[in-house]
Amino acid sequence: MLLDEYKDLADFCVREARKLGAEYAEARIHGGKGTGFLLKNGEPQPSMIDDSFGIAARVIVGGAMAFGATNLLSRERVRDLTATTVKMARSSARLVKEPIEMGDSKPATRKVNVSEKEPVEGGDPNWLKSLLLEIDGRVVGSRSDAGGVKIPNRIMVASAGVEEKYIVTSDGGKVESRVPRFNFFGIFTALKGGEAAQRIIQQGETGGLEIVKRIRLLELVEEETQTLMEVLGEAGKAPTGMMDVVLSPELSGIAAHESVGHPQEADRILGREGAQAGESYLSKDSLGTKVGSEEAYVSDDPTIAHSNGYCPVDDEGVVSRKRRLIVGGKITEFLQNRSTSTLLGVKNNGSSRSAGFDREPIIRMSNTFVEPGDYATTEELIKEVKDGIYLKSFTEWNIDDKRLNQRYTGLEAYRIKNGETTGLVRAPVLEITTPALWGSVKGRSKRLEFEAASCGKGDPMQGIPVWTGGPDTLLAGVRIVGGS
Amino acid sequence: MAKMMGPDESNSFGVRVAKRLGADEAILMTVISNERMERFANSSVTVTKNVKESGQVVYLAKGGRRIIGSSSNPEKASLERFIELLYKSMMTLPKDPGYVALPARGRAYSPKPSHDKKLESAEGLLSGYVEEAIESAEGEGARRTAGSLEAGVTSHHIMSSTGTVGSDTSSRILLNIRAFTDRDASGHGLSCSATVRDFRPATAGERAGSHSERMRNARELSEGGKTYQVLMSPTVAANLLGLVGEFASAFSVEAGTSYLADKLGKKVASDSLDLTDVGKAEGCLDARTFDDEGQPTQSTKLIEGGVLRSYLHNLSTAKRFGTKSTGNAGLIEPGPWNLEIGRGDSGYEEMVAEMKHGLILTSNWYTRFKNYRTGEFSTVPRDGTYLVESGEVRAPIKGIRISDSLERMFSSIRLISRDREWVQWWEVDNPTLCPWLLVDGVTVTRAYGEGPSQGG
Repeated sequence: MLLDEYKDLADFCVREARKLGAEYAEARIHGGKGTGFLLKNGEPQPSMIDDSFGIAARVIVGGAMAFGATNLLSRERVRDLTATTVKMARSSARLVKEPIEMGDSKPATRKVNVSEKEPVEGGDPNWLKSLLLEIDGRVVGSRSDAGGVKIPNRIMVASAGVEEKYIVTSDGGKVESRVPRFNFFGIFTALKGGEAAQRIIQQGETGGLEIVKRIRLLELVEEETQTLMEVLGEAGKAPTGMMDVVLSPELSGIAAHESVGHPQEADRILGREGAQAGESYLSKDSLGTKVGSEEAYVSDDPTIAHSNGYCPVDDEGVVSRKRRLIVGGKITEFLQNRSTSTLLGVKNNGSSRSAGFDREPIIRMSNTFVEPGDYATTEELIKEVKDGIYLKSFTEWNIDDKRLNQRYTGLEAYRIKNGETTGLVRAPVLEITTPALWGSVKGRSKRLEFEAASCGKGDPMQGIPVWTGGPDTLLAGVRIVGGS
Repeated sequence: MAKMMGPDESNSFGVRVAKRLGADEAILMTVISNERMERFANSSVTVTKNVKESGQVVYLAKGGRRIIGSSSNPEKASLERFIELLYKSMMTLPKDPGYVALPARGRAYSPKPSHDKKLESAEGLLSGYVEEAIESAEGEGARRTAGSLEAGVTSHHIMSSTGTVGSDTSSRILLNIRAFTDRDASGHGLSCSATVRDFRPATAGERAGSHSERMRNARELSEGGKTYQVLMSPTVAANLLGLVGEFASAFSVEAGTSYLADKLGKKVASDSLDLTDVGKAEGCLDARTFDDEGQPTQSTKLIEGGVLRSYLHNLSTAKRFGTKSTGNAGLIEPGPWNLEIGRGDSGYEEMVAEMKHGLILTSNWYTRFKNYRTGEFSTVPRDGTYLVESGEVRAPIKGIRISDSLERMFSSIRLISRDREWVQWWEVDNPTLCPWLLVDGVTVTRAYGEGPSQGG
């Protein structure tokens, strides 16, 4: 591992910080190498290769926390960084009204190494270019029964790389990790006359280049773009009114992420993200509160093999585990780090992650999903609906900063009549409060699928890889507004 | 530990390595930044940060092939190995149809330093400003505050194989403060400036505190899906017009992710709207004299009198569009530097008086597009939001969403204010000098269902 040559700098940093009077110190060598390739309308753009490593130091002095980082990895620079960071904490202590403590979470000594069948180093620019050209060929070759629909605009990025970390804490934590990843992102624009429809596809997992075959990337993009053409060419007007709605895994996942995962981040609940990513409609006393029906079950699990949000030990060196966020409609757990769990007097569940050496670790989701249910198939769930909508994919979405008022606009969406899907309908909008959404859950299918996403939070902003997912989820009697 | 190089030495060494390997062209850009941040919540400091970074961006071209690399290791042997890897990778690729040769004769840039030297080391400055902002918010009634104060200096150093050489330094100080009187009553204030002289933490705090007080007992609209006149603060308008600036990138136009495609020379906004991208001007937060291809930045009128006049270009997109670079590279994607919206002739009170049935929005977040090609979007107002009837502010409002299209909305501008403010924060990437805008016929929606107290 490349970071082997820098490990002693992290150990040195923690020792120096303690010598200078820090109650707690943590150092993290964090970086990676990766290659990306971008194809625009079938034309290769310049390939991109990144190689970035640096060190982060985090200390607590007199209850005040400071964070320092640099990519200048010499002993002298790290000594300066440590001294500056300790000094910053000490001088800000007078403005700290709520002293920060890391509590009794026991940090681990652990090595995490995600295996690859086909090493990501093989994902060089030429390999990535060939992959994207093959996908593009399939998209361009797609034929639509809906006359006159084309996909002239196609932008795709594929990337392969390795993230490496070495974390050491002053209370005994020592965690080393190597996580390879493959990611795909594409925006496809279908045009017909003056009308347009757009599909964003994002896929990502941890592991080697075998991911491409495992997720059937070529087939997936081909099928999705074929559907996009059908949506533009064939979708009719969506109804407006109260009706049953079946959410696909893609919709279940985004709703779980936005209106369960985010409001149950303890740092939001305690106000720490108030000025940027916002707070929560929940309070620290909300554990046990009923916010959904007895069929509402949502979890976050960083231990799922291959997952985009795989993080079995967090960036404070604490072993992570599955978190049951909503069980039978009741709030059962918040996402915690060392300081929030100490403040709230609960057990830490290891949710602290950082996007890079120049970012502090903060509470993040990993793989957030609606738990699967009893219905054997999607069709069986749809049979329960006399008159409604099946939302299979979405375009626009957003939610207020307390995570109470959300909106999902359907892309691939079908009218359901008498238990069967009929035709495609255009852009139905589900705009609903969080209790109304989770309170209306009536059933869930057995199939559990995930989508990759990058979740944004923090200041400066940190985008972090996650999965969102779930089964098909039946919402009983919610309002849909037909779009255009 | 091996020797680390300064920016000029690093650039010069990198260009030499690229030439030795056989590259036709090379650009080395070293970016050095020193950022300090103090974050606070519940009126208490939560963390103080200092990040010092030095990174290189390397561009190589050979026989019509191109490659870009970014490295954070300024050590000599590492940079050499990195450029060798780039060159080797590039040579496995076919010719790039977007390749355009750099101008044969490079330029030398030696701009007069205009950054604030006080921000080179912001130590000792930040805590005082945070206290000032919090006290100002609490003086207006806020019960608690949260926010961040960031100060820093960034320098860009460039050298190319064609003789371009230069460096440029910019500074900035940004405060973002949110004040709360209760869970649903919040206000937002910000101050951002290239210099300490123009920085106004107390004003930002007062604004946040005042809105948080006025938002007590906010109510929901009785129904959604209706149209309103909307008076957007500079913070809200900068978020939406900043996106228009990004849509003006020729890359977005080509990629099908811009509603401004095929609209050059056509009306895309009301007669009163002027939108200009500026590389370097008085007060710019992210001032740049040269772009990432070493071309000079300039002032580019994107929208003038409501007509789309230009896209933003680098050398590659300019060639395909049959025009000249506007000095906005991005090596792959051109983008805006600083955006300026032309001032109008209205005062704030006059704009409110003009509203028959409308809403005042002071902050927003989470703008997302249904379709970039059509510009259909929604965004969520937050903090100070007020219902106006017959020119009178009637009530604070919560729980709404704007759902419209950018082109329709900016084609319905009724009034623009005389006063403008620089805006840059979590929801506004590019510094934007922005006035208040009064816009007609904006669709406002609300969510189905009750809040947490009645739900479940």
